[in-house]
Amino acid sequence: MNCRSEVLEVSVESRQVDEAMLALLHTILLHRSTGKFHYKKEGTYSIGTVGTQDVDCDFIDFSFVRVSSEELDRVISKAVAEFKDALGNSGSDGMGQISLEFYQKKKSRWPFSDECIPWEVWSIKVNVVSLANEQERQICREKVGEKLGEKVINIVEVINRHEYLPKMPTQSEVDNVFDTSLKDVQPYLYKISFQITDVLGSSVSTTMRRLIKDTLAL
Amino acid sequence: MAHFETEYQRLEASYSDSPPGEENLLVHVPEGSKSPWHHIENLDLFFQRVYNLHQKNGFTCMLLGEIFELVQLVFVVAFTVFLANCVDYDILFANKSVIHTDSSKVTLPDAFLPPDVCSARIRHNVPVIFILIISGVFWLHRLVKFIYNICCYFEIRSFYINALKVSMADLPYFTWQEVQARIVEIQKEHQICIHKKELTELDIYHRILRFKNYMVAMVNKSLLPVRFRLPVLGDTVFYTRGLKYNFELIFFWGPGSLFENEWSLKPEYKRGGNRLELADRLSSRILWIGIANLLLCPVILIWQILYAFFSYTEVIKREPGSLGARCWSLYGRFYLRHFNELDHELMSRLSKGYKASSKYMNCFMSPLLTVVAKNVAFFAGSILAVLIALTIYDEDVLAVEHVLTSITLLGVCVTVCRSFIPDQHMVFCPEQLLKVILAHIHYMPDHWQGNAHRYETRDEFAQLFQYKAVFILEELLSPVVTPFILIFCLRRKSLEIIDFFRNFTVDVVGVGDTCSFAQMDVRQHGHPAWMSAGKTEASIYQQAEDGKTELSLMHFAITNPHWQPPRESTHFISLLKEKVHREATGAQQGVTGENQALTSTNSLHCDSEPRSLVANLLLGPPSLASLHLARETSIHPVSIGVSEPALGLRSLSPVSTSLHLRSSYPSARLPPHEHSSARVMTGSSTDARTISSGSSAWEGQLTSMILSEYASTEMSIHALYMHEMHKQQSRGELSRHTWHRQESDESSESVNEDFEAGRSFPRSSTFPSTATTHHERAPSQRHHHRASDPAAGSSQVQRSPRVPMGWSEDRQMGRHHEPVPEEGSEDELPPNIQKV
Repeated sequence: MNCRSEVLEVSVESRQVDEAMLALLHTILLHRSTGKFHYKKEGTYSIGTVGTQDVDCDFIDFSFVRVSSEELDRVISKAVAEFKDALGNSGSDGMGQISLEFYQKKKSRWPFSDECIPWEVWSIKVNVVSLANEQERQICREKVGEKLGEKVINIVEVINRHEYLPKMPTQSEVDNVFDTSLKDVQPYLYKISFQITDVLGSSVSTTMRRLIKDTLAL
Repeated sequence: MAHFETEYQRLEASYSDSPPGEENLLVHVPEGSKSPWHHIENLDLFFQRVYNLHQKNGFTCMLLGEIFELVQLVFVVAFTVFLANCVDYDILFANKSVIHTDSSKVTLPDAFLPPDVCSARIRHNVPVIFILIISGVFWLHRLVKFIYNICCYFEIRSFYINALKVSMADLPYFTWQEVQARIVEIQKEHQICIHKKELTELDIYHRILRFKNYMVAMVNKSLLPVRFRLPVLGDTVFYTRGLKYNFELIFFWGPGSLFENEWSLKPEYKRGGNRLELADRLSSRILWIGIANLLLCPVILIWQILYAFFSYTEVIKREPGSLGARCWSLYGRFYLRHFNELDHELMSRLSKGYKASSKYMNCFMSPLLTVVAKNVAFFAGSILAVLIALTIYDEDVLAVEHVLTSITLLGVCVTVCRSFIPDQHMVFCPEQLLKVILAHIHYMPDHWQGNAHRYETRDEFAQLFQYKAVFILEELLSPVVTPFILIFCLRRKSLEIIDFFRNFTVDVVGVGDTCSFAQMDVRQHGHPAWMSAGKTEASIYQQAEDGKTELSLMHFAITNPHWQPPRESTHFISLLKEKVHREATGAQQGVTGENQALTSTNSLHCDSEPRSLVANLLLGPPSLASLHLARETSIHPVSIGVSEPALGLRSLSPVSTSLHLRSSYPSARLPPHEHSSARVMTGSSTDARTISSGSSAWEGQLTSMILSEYASTEMSIHALYMHEMHKQQSRGELSRHTWHRQESDESSESVNEDFEAGRSFPRSSTFPSTATTHHERAPSQRHHHRASDPAAGSSQVQRSPRVPMGWSEDRQMGRHHEPVPEEGSEDELPPNIQKV
């Protein structure tokens, strides 16, 4: 519970899925990334620079800003591509949800593994519509562009609120808060996961885990 | 800029894109997460553990307690098996002589079988093996749980020490309110909850009691099948720990339960669309769990018997009377619990009421039984006396076969008989006792008032306050009965349960999904008959019964004086306090003459009500109140009602004055009678009760004890007052509602039955859903007197499942329903039900 969750919903045509997802995920990550930290001996640090770049969409009347980091882009694109494939293969009515979860790690005592505690979860619900003709596609192209614009403003509003963010870590703890694997940019630790259709949550393994945990915690 | 570029040249190719010469540029200092306590993942569990550790008086006590429990378990099983298989009883009973070489004395080791024989006997005994396996599994489970718990609580321990700055040695001397105040304090610094800058007391309570609140609400709305009408036993309540465990398993945490995790209801249950389908799913789950229970029944049964045997036989042997001792039943605990009331608060409240309650129950001695008991005791006693006298003369008498046995048996017999003989000096005053009880337990069905001397009332009270023996018996029966209750009773209610969770779950920011009743919002869940008339907009379905919302609100506000209630609730609280205060001052002027006499009678009475520190000062306000009632009832029965608890309040003023003199906080509190407005009084008492959190050492400790005592007294008075107001209100409506009931008889059958019982009693008709709670029989008995009508009662019990079927529709109608401006408009409510 101890985590904010934001839900965004979009309806797009199937070929627009990846661009729309990329636009939203990148917008969020843009605001949740910093430059690389450079720690000094006396316990201070300075922050490196981050470039931004504009991306124009092919199938939507929209362009968005993302961190100019090829590595980050590759990771995100891969996740989105998987999501799109899964969405295409599902054969259901094209409902899916991709979620971007920011978390921090917490070292814990020996018998337990490190905990990953989410502090913010963005869920993007996607509804894929199929359109009959080119006319409708044109309209859709514009409409989705407008919608995405709204969403971006929405995201920025949420991010501008003064709410909990993990505290800036010391050198030893930087891996618990930031993803330091990328060379040119340093986003908060994040995880991207997706689900197809509406069966949320109740997989067998999570239920079993909860059952065990709850029995123990009595 | 030029400088910048030249520096850039000097660097080799590096991925570091930070500007060089950083010393001169922007430099940050990391805050680091110095404490590991920010942003805790599962706050529910965290707070629960913090609370548990506090209740168990620190880490060491808890550790020791758990270790001993584990050891005890091994001992119980090992000892049983040993007794059953490894002892040669013939030698013990001297039926068989032992061949000894050196001495002729039989020693204990002689009676033990040799180890190889012993183990062979065990190996060939299938039931024993079965029991051993079960207990082995159980023990392993406990062990794993123990280790897991220790690891978790170790964290909590360091939280107490490092974050809350409470050492484990001091913990037993901290009240929960103080611990809580510290948690609220450190939230500002560490941000354990990330949603809000500040935590409130209510947030913490909500998290600790999330599921308990649901259960209390479900019992309050009679949703759980715990009342049954049995052919011989009549109206009974069956609610055991096993049943409770199963309910929780089904609703809250079992596989496929309604809750996704500790803090959120699954989204599909929040939507009304496919409620029928969800109800089907729930009912099939209940069926499966019921079947699982049925299959596991022998295992659980054996466990229960073993457990009961070893925990209680020793007690029975030592003091047979202790079985007669009563305890608050599990059902009673849920019925009497406020929303947002922690375990220790409930327990202290109930324990305070214990003495009065057992006294009340003892009032009902059957005269027939007394005569028999007296005579049996006489005969048994005389034989016992002779035997004892002979033994004293020559102890060889003991060696005669069965003499010791008969002495023991006769002793038991005499003790049992004695418990049936009432105390000669006891005075039969049930009405007053019930008042005293009410002051502590805070809830009571309406029809008990004025009927305290009746057996029906007693029987109903016995459902809340049962014999310990009955309690144990029910626990033993529980494994057998539980599956049937699940399969045949609970399953039928699945749709209502789905509706309940949908309608009464609210998502509170920073807390998650909680029971909306637990918000204690008078507007949403108030009951017009409980002083929230005009303020409440709740439909009948939404009203909490028995004034639970109102009383809970008062209770919470009084126990947590720092809490800032929402605006309407504040209004309600201040209004009520003002009323109580006004009555107090009014009554004070009225009875100054009597005062002297009252105080003197009171001092006689107050030993029935030992109230620790405050007792001497307070002279037990509830008993004062009840005494006053007894004195005045004959003169003007109605008007006295209100002034009576108020009088109790007035008697509080000595406390505050003495407190004022004694304590080192002279500014803490002024005697209430010096204030004209009760608002000020609340404020000052509030300060007084919380000042201890700031102070340290014993001084503060003592004050906080006194003040918590004071808080509980204040709550008692408010509870009495509210009940009194409620009684008057319903009495006042009696005449107005008689015409209406005629009409409603022509309505649908289910409603008709509802009014059957309430025809002569106003409450049931004004608030039809109250009839679904309990004690359906008594309203009719109250007016028909002895000519009770069990048929009406039975039909009601059967009817109650049907009413909630329409609850959801009813709720929608309730939305359109105008907020009730005054009592008069409640006349419209029953027709509203009829549409259902």
